[in-house]
Amino acid sequence: MRSQISCRELYLMFSNLFKSMGCCKVSSLMQAQVEMGLGNEVELKSLLEQETDSRQTNAASLMEQGLHRERRAKVPRNNVVQSFKIVILSNKLNLLLPFGPLAILVHYLTDSKGWFFLLSLVGITPLAERLGYATEQLACYTGSTVGGLLNATFGNVIELIISIIALKNGMVRVVQLTLLGSILSNMLLVLGCAFFFGGLVFSRKDQVFDKGNAVVSSGMLLMAVMGLLFPTVLHYTQSEVHAGSSVLALSRFISCIMLVAYAAYLFFQLKSQPSVYTEERNHNTEMSEDDEDPEISKWEAIIWLSIFTAWVSILSGYLVDAIEGASVSWKIPVSFISVILLPIVGNAAEHAGAVMFAMKDKLDLSLGVAIGSSIQISMFLVPFCVVIGWMMGVQMDLNFQLYETATLFITVIVVAFFLHEGTSNYFKGLMLILCYLIVAASFFVHEGPRQG
Amino acid sequence: MSCCKVPVLIEAQVEMGSVNELEHKSLFRQEEDAAQTKEASLMEQGSLSTSFPQHTPKSPKNSVLNSIKIVIFCNKLNLLLPFGPLAILVHYMIDSKGWVFLLTLVGITPLAERLGYATEQLACYTGPTVGGLLNATFGNVTELIISIFALKNGMIRVVQLTLLGSILSNMLLVLGCAFFCGGLVFYQKDQVFDKGTATVNSGLLLMAVMGILFPAVLHYTHSEVHAGSSELALSRFSSCIMLIAYAAYLFFQLKSQSNSYSPLDEETNQNEETSAEDEDPEISKWEAIIWLSILTAWVSLLSGYLVDAIEGASVSWNIPISFISTILLPIVGNAAEHAGAIMFAMKDKLDLSLGVAIGSSIQISMFAVPFCVVIGWMMGQQMDLNFQLFETAMLFITVIVVAFFLQEGTSNYFKGLMLILCYLIVAASFFVHEDPPQDGI
Repeated sequence: MRSQISCRELYLMFSNLFKSMGCCKVSSLMQAQVEMGLGNEVELKSLLEQETDSRQTNAASLMEQGLHRERRAKVPRNNVVQSFKIVILSNKLNLLLPFGPLAILVHYLTDSKGWFFLLSLVGITPLAERLGYATEQLACYTGSTVGGLLNATFGNVIELIISIIALKNGMVRVVQLTLLGSILSNMLLVLGCAFFFGGLVFSRKDQVFDKGNAVVSSGMLLMAVMGLLFPTVLHYTQSEVHAGSSVLALSRFISCIMLVAYAAYLFFQLKSQPSVYTEERNHNTEMSEDDEDPEISKWEAIIWLSIFTAWVSILSGYLVDAIEGASVSWKIPVSFISVILLPIVGNAAEHAGAVMFAMKDKLDLSLGVAIGSSIQISMFLVPFCVVIGWMMGVQMDLNFQLYETATLFITVIVVAFFLHEGTSNYFKGLMLILCYLIVAASFFVHEGPRQG
Repeated sequence: MSCCKVPVLIEAQVEMGSVNELEHKSLFRQEEDAAQTKEASLMEQGSLSTSFPQHTPKSPKNSVLNSIKIVIFCNKLNLLLPFGPLAILVHYMIDSKGWVFLLTLVGITPLAERLGYATEQLACYTGPTVGGLLNATFGNVTELIISIFALKNGMIRVVQLTLLGSILSNMLLVLGCAFFCGGLVFYQKDQVFDKGTATVNSGLLLMAVMGILFPAVLHYTHSEVHAGSSELALSRFSSCIMLIAYAAYLFFQLKSQSNSYSPLDEETNQNEETSAEDEDPEISKWEAIIWLSILTAWVSLLSGYLVDAIEGASVSWNIPISFISTILLPIVGNAAEHAGAIMFAMKDKLDLSLGVAIGSSIQISMFAVPFCVVIGWMMGQQMDLNFQLFETAMLFITVIVVAFFLQEGTSNYFKGLMLILCYLIVAASFFVHEDPPQDGI
């Protein structure tokens, strides 16, 4: 009994830590397990896997049949075949994996950019999910702090990779639009779906979530909007001191400030969890046990992480190349593809996760996934891309053009109002989804000024 | 149903905890008529209850004369009714558009109030659901009729400005007066209202602003794909989305109302009285429908002359059309709701005031505006949601200010005064604003 209780409390500690990281999947997994009040270790681990796979509903049934092996060894020593089996084959979403190589074949054989784009999108989806999985596995080994940082940084690694590749090609506008679209999709679509489905399941009462966290998150989002707004307005009122370079210099400075703010936010979240830790000091031994009892060993996790990252980079390279071609062949604006289509794919796994948590009445986790992801992109990815561009010599700035900035501003205000009350129901979710439809429609008929 | 008068009335009765049927009915009428302050004193003398036939039958069968007496004569505001025909006379005899406009305005005011009365009467017969929907749809029928007439004449700008002005006037002037007067009466404490409903309403208003903002910004950053037709397509799509959202809002309100009505019934144990109230209004169902049609036709007639006279009045009085459409017309159109909201606030029923004011704003922004776009679509008029940058910015900042004032859940006379002063600022800015020349009416 003692070991079971300690496992639970241990997971509680981890989960509270990671929950504060906002968008970490590890925390949500662990918290989900704690709250389900589990009994024994095998159940724990199978539920761990169940959380990962439950985003793909087909896989869930496989898991419940207990295909998962008994696990007593501290560090699982898998040979290559076993590792391959665990990582690749035990997840039905991975059926989409062959679309990746297929897309590359299509790229070289036919000249149809549209099909190639579509196939690459489909091929990236399972990779996004597996990358998240590998990151969680690695985080089990590295201890709480570094693990949390790892999740905070790599939570949106797909968008990061796509953005860096686009930056290298000098496609600054695509980077801006993709990141903006990811923020909008997380704030409106993912959150809206979570509220809506959660509200439908629990239609008699309003679901509640932690108001304090929601308000701090809204504040962070507003700060990000402020950071994006000033360079844009400076440019549009044509009131800069040195036309052209002022906006860039301001953007770079603001990006550094935003990165500092994000680091402080992480630090603050970590620091504000000390009370839980003091109870766990006598459970150190169990803690180290669970640290090292995930499915694959540490080196396997690192290797798989590198493999997936390389694979995603290759596909992203082709994807970014194909955007303009797809836009021409499908006759839809590049803005629409970058802002609406790409982020929906990139966020598919988080989307399903958030909806699932809401339907289990764990709205704080859904909020953590959705809003935490938005904060991560707006306060970390966007400034990070500006800094990377600075180092590469690419002129990426925070001037997202007036239309996109206005969209972001009104969206953040709408979401902040919906969040500050601390309750949700299906109607609020429906409103958020409808707002996203309006935003998507407006990008469908919008094209930016033609400077690439 | 924040914007329905029927639940407002029923709630008002329940909350007043009235005991017998006759008091019920006189209070019922008192709620409606108290909108005209002269009337209130008459009520308290109880003189009108005598003109009321005994009401044991469920549906009163009035002769035509009785009906006219009840609907037309027992409301002193109806003294203004003759101004309507007078305005039409003036229109044909003199060429003074200013006078026609003024007289038509005065003539429409009592009609707006009677239309509301007829709608409530009809709602008594149709049960809470349909009754609520009826009120939700027809609560602002005057603005709707004026807008449809203007649309038919191709005066798209007038439609946009009138609806915008109605939203602004409801949010700032009506709400501000309600807070102010209520706060003066109850100045020792802050009045409270339901924060949850207020937050949902603010969210809806923000969504409406979002729907109006995007076409305007799209136009002004010259970033549309097909110049000219993109905003129209986007406006029409957004209008459909907004109508869906409004329907979902009504559905959601109905669902949560049905949950909240049952405890009330149990506590007060007045099931018989409430059902009796449902079927014991002043005029029969068919009378209500007939009067509704008569009043609607009359309002349409006067609106036709009104819309014609706007431009002439603007020229002869030397004030911009924006001011007439945005400030003057809505004040008249909302006069009855205005008085009702103030009266509720002075009785410490701030939720009802909020329901009238903010509910009306939501109804116009989420229903009337998209509905006009769709009607324009069917008529072939190019009405879109691009309200031009100045008006859109005005609406945006107003909604944010009001949302902030509402989010705390309390009110006092100071907040009311702030809102009224904000409205004066808005009115002044429209006094000196005219559209850039390429966007003619």
